[in-house]
Amino acid sequence: MCNITKEKVFEAISTVIDPEVGFNLVEMGLIYDAIVDDACNVHVIMTLSTQGCPLHQMIKQWVEEAVAKLEGVGTIEIEVVWEPAWNISMADENVKKALGGM
Amino acid sequence: MKAISSDFAPPLKLISPFFNAGVTFYLFSMLALLFFKPSFAYEQMDVAGWVHLFLLGFVMMVIFGAMAQLIPVVLEAGHVVVDVYYVIFPLLLVGTSLMVFGFWLVPSILPYGGLLVLVAMMIFAVENVATLKKTSIRTLTIDAVAWSNGYLLLGILTGFAIALGLSGNLDINIPLMLKAHVYAVLGGYVVLTIIGLSLILIPMFSLAHGFEETAIHRAFKWVITGVAVVFVGALSSQEWLMYLGYAINTVGVLFYIWQIYIIAKLTVRKELDIWAKSMIFAFGTLILSLLLGLAYFVSGIESILHASVWFLLLGFISSMITGHLYKIVPFLVWFERFAPLVGKEKVPMLHEMYSKEGASMMFWFTAVGVMIAGLGLLFESDILFKAGGSFLFTGAIFLYITMRKMLAYGK
Repeated sequence: MCNITKEKVFEAISTVIDPEVGFNLVEMGLIYDAIVDDACNVHVIMTLSTQGCPLHQMIKQWVEEAVAKLEGVGTIEIEVVWEPAWNISMADENVKKALGGM
Repeated sequence: MKAISSDFAPPLKLISPFFNAGVTFYLFSMLALLFFKPSFAYEQMDVAGWVHLFLLGFVMMVIFGAMAQLIPVVLEAGHVVVDVYYVIFPLLLVGTSLMVFGFWLVPSILPYGGLLVLVAMMIFAVENVATLKKTSIRTLTIDAVAWSNGYLLLGILTGFAIALGLSGNLDINIPLMLKAHVYAVLGGYVVLTIIGLSLILIPMFSLAHGFEETAIHRAFKWVITGVAVVFVGALSSQEWLMYLGYAINTVGVLFYIWQIYIIAKLTVRKELDIWAKSMIFAFGTLILSLLLGLAYFVSGIESILHASVWFLLLGFISSMITGHLYKIVPFLVWFERFAPLVGKEKVPMLHEMYSKEGASMMFWFTAVGVMIAGLGLLFESDILFKAGGSFLFTGAIFLYITMRKMLAYGK
């Protein structure tokens, strides 16, 4: 039985910070879902704040490395999607407030 | 899925010389302003020397360095031969220096400087076109890169013809060729490049999403048409055609301003950092430049045209470039020196990599200098122009220092 939960995956990814805005990917609302199967294989579905992001590959790698730190994790798949497109309403209140979007 | 690439990013050591040289030329060009009078003619050799110091030494130098990084981001493909930038840099550096000295002191060396710049730009344009062929993606930004490179080639060829004409090696109508050259380079290359990259960079840094892009597509079509009409009008000595081209371009720029307004309304990031302040100033001075341009066509007063061109060059183009330098340079330095350390040790945020106070001083001295010197040109006041020049030179010192520190951060 796998003891990695979706919450634990989100917690692990929350250590990854976007160097441009200074917030972690989870509070930015960029992590859409994390699916964990019985064998502890993790499938993260995420987006980026802009399609032209030159850090695209690197951010994927950071997310993968963060998830890999979870004990007992199996294979890790990071899927970047553009639908639904990210917008500020997906971010936490503290991010909205700090960016001035509210 | 869009897969962009850190893998295609050129090394910092390839790009940083362009930025270092660019801000150094900017510093020299602001210093040189102190030796100019506010009333002049475009055909004056010393004015041509200053324009090349500023446009080639600062504007083109920084754009070329930035394009080495941005082309892979825009095209989602690596450069065909990124190492050509190691060749482009010294050619552009030496060529620009020779041209400026040629204009100011020894006209006979102009063609040699012109030839070096010609070769540098040919390599740049050919490499860009070859890289463009690698991608099947069609976006407005990619079309803008393609068209701007075509105009750059026309600008280079007309410029080289002028250099030969000035040194007495070619019998051409220099004033008309000069108009074609200025329009191909400024309107065709610089403005089109800015329009194309705006669609990527401004929403990226302001976190604006879901905006309608019709206006910028119209802007692009009107500007490429307008530049072509002016270019043909200048080469065929058809003044009415040139005026038609100016009108078409004005409509294009208005569409561009409208697009920026649409993006600005959807901007999530409200923080007024150095980039945001620079963008506000850039677009404010672009509008001012347009208004003064219209006033010139109505009045025919030469000093109004000088002020219009001033606000376009030192207000809009210069602020667009310096504002983006405070975003692009920290990113490049961070990517090279800190990205590999992520997850292993604490790494700085991009905004922590430059002095906010230094950047702020750069902005305010520059903005005040642009306005005062612009008034000096408008009213042909030597005192105002020199005062503005002093502010601009001080701002340039802050730009130079903050940029050097950013490039050395974490070394």
